[in-house]
Amino acid sequence: MAEREPGVTPLPRDLGFRVGMLLAFTIAVAVAFVVYVLYARGGFEATQRLTLIADNAEGVSVGMDLTFSGFPVGTVRRIALAEDGKARIEIDVPRRDAKWLRRSSVFTLERGLVGGARIRAYSGDLQDAPLEDDAVRQVLRGDTSEEIPRLVATMRTILENIEQLTGTGGGVQTNLANLRVLTERMAGKQGVLGGVLGSEDNAKKVLASIDRANALLASLGAVSAKLDAVVAKTDQRVFGQGGVVDETQRAAAQANAILGDVRESLKKVDAILADAQAASGNVKAASTDLAALRAEVEASLRKVSGLIDEINRKWPFERNTEIRLP
Amino acid sequence: MVDAPRAALAGWLQSWRRVLHFAGYALAAAASRASYTPATRAVTVKQVYFTAWQVLPLFLLFSALLEATVIRVVIAASREYGIADYALDLVLRGLVLELIPFLTALFVALRSGSAIATEVALMHISGELEALERAGDDPLALEFVPRVAAAALSVVTLTVLSGALAIVIAYLSTYGLSPWGFAEFTHVVGKVFGVPTLLGFALKCLLFGAAVAVVPIAAGLEATAKVKSAPVAVLGGMVRLFFVLGLIEVVSLAARYI
Repeated sequence: MAEREPGVTPLPRDLGFRVGMLLAFTIAVAVAFVVYVLYARGGFEATQRLTLIADNAEGVSVGMDLTFSGFPVGTVRRIALAEDGKARIEIDVPRRDAKWLRRSSVFTLERGLVGGARIRAYSGDLQDAPLEDDAVRQVLRGDTSEEIPRLVATMRTILENIEQLTGTGGGVQTNLANLRVLTERMAGKQGVLGGVLGSEDNAKKVLASIDRANALLASLGAVSAKLDAVVAKTDQRVFGQGGVVDETQRAAAQANAILGDVRESLKKVDAILADAQAASGNVKAASTDLAALRAEVEASLRKVSGLIDEINRKWPFERNTEIRLP
Repeated sequence: MVDAPRAALAGWLQSWRRVLHFAGYALAAAASRASYTPATRAVTVKQVYFTAWQVLPLFLLFSALLEATVIRVVIAASREYGIADYALDLVLRGLVLELIPFLTALFVALRSGSAIATEVALMHISGELEALERAGDDPLALEFVPRVAAAALSVVTLTVLSGALAIVIAYLSTYGLSPWGFAEFTHVVGKVFGVPTLLGFALKCLLFGAAVAVVPIAAGLEATAKVKSAPVAVLGGMVRLFFVLGLIEVVSLAARYI
């Protein structure tokens, strides 16, 4: 065979060298690629572990990314079912990317319509303490495919309502018809008023009423100005120096004094009468008359006393319940 | 009427048994130290030269054209469907891991597998094999096992180089000459090529390479002393080779994705 082939294709002298070079080059490419893959998989990088606890790890696969602001900062290494029935998603985070994850970071697991699930990290406060190694966090779950049926049901109800509203004879159409009439009236001679009041006649009436009300208000303004002057004068006359109130107060004080005198006098009469009754106890007829007289005097005295009390109560300027005797 | 299908079935089983038998023999020879002699090395080097070196420029040109087209199509389609994030992932998985090894194996099968089958059949017909056996040499160990090793090496070499070219073209198609896509590209590469994936890829390439030589040699050995038996033997061998390559591909896909 070795003798036959050179007839077809001549073998070069450095056959072994060429083949060796090809194989060596291939091995170099393969080794370089393997090293590149190891580098790409973080084989030369220190990582820290983060464990996320989820109710349901559906859609999560080993090798999936944990993203922060759209950049991958970690890789799912293992998914396991814990003793309590929850899914444990173990994630390796390279140390150089760990700075994006803080103690207060929130982790979400979302399932979109296209592609697998996505695990995202949100760090609200990048000044917070860094996430510790072997941290365990709850993951919040949002599922588009679970939301869609609910969304569709709600949308259908809404659409039915809209259809009813917009259908023939529906609320919207009636409203639109009314609105058209209204805007036509508004565009008429009496403008917006015509639209609001329904007809031009009514609008005219309203305009006349407003005119009248304006005139009335003007005259009322004049009246009130006059009234103001009167009030000012009255005020001066009544409450001013030497005014009505002043005089009245003085008169009342005098009346009070007079009435006090009267009461004293009556008290004296009462005493005399009591003495007289005692002295002339045997005189029957006289005593009877005297008793009647005395009752009358006592009644008068009570009335006067009540009158004084009344004046004192009603007159607020002086509150002397005690009456000074002259 | 009944005998014809039964005979055909028996012949079919016989062919497959011969393939398996030679495969086992080649595997045993590759594992034994006695096989590594200067003579076998010379045959191996020559076979690698014919199978890989000679076709290398043409093959790489063809690969580059095919890869550039497929990558463009994948990127454009995924942009259209709104899954541009997965374009690179798709290219690496579909093209580098599946399409390139399979196409390389088919290419080597077409070019060298058919040649090997014809050569073995002709050696059988011309009585060269019997002459070797009479001289005390084992033609399987001396001529055929080195060819199997060489075919495996060639397929691995062509696949690795073509795959590396595909990765470079994928980067250039996605990011152009900008170096800023490197981090993202590296991330996707790291995600797609796990250790099991790489091992499976290497195993698949080796199996492709072995099949490309084993099945045609077994077919060539089926030829009788008659000259007209050669085309039948080569034809049967090539069909069998196609099925074996397809089977390896399907099994590897099933192992990865099912």
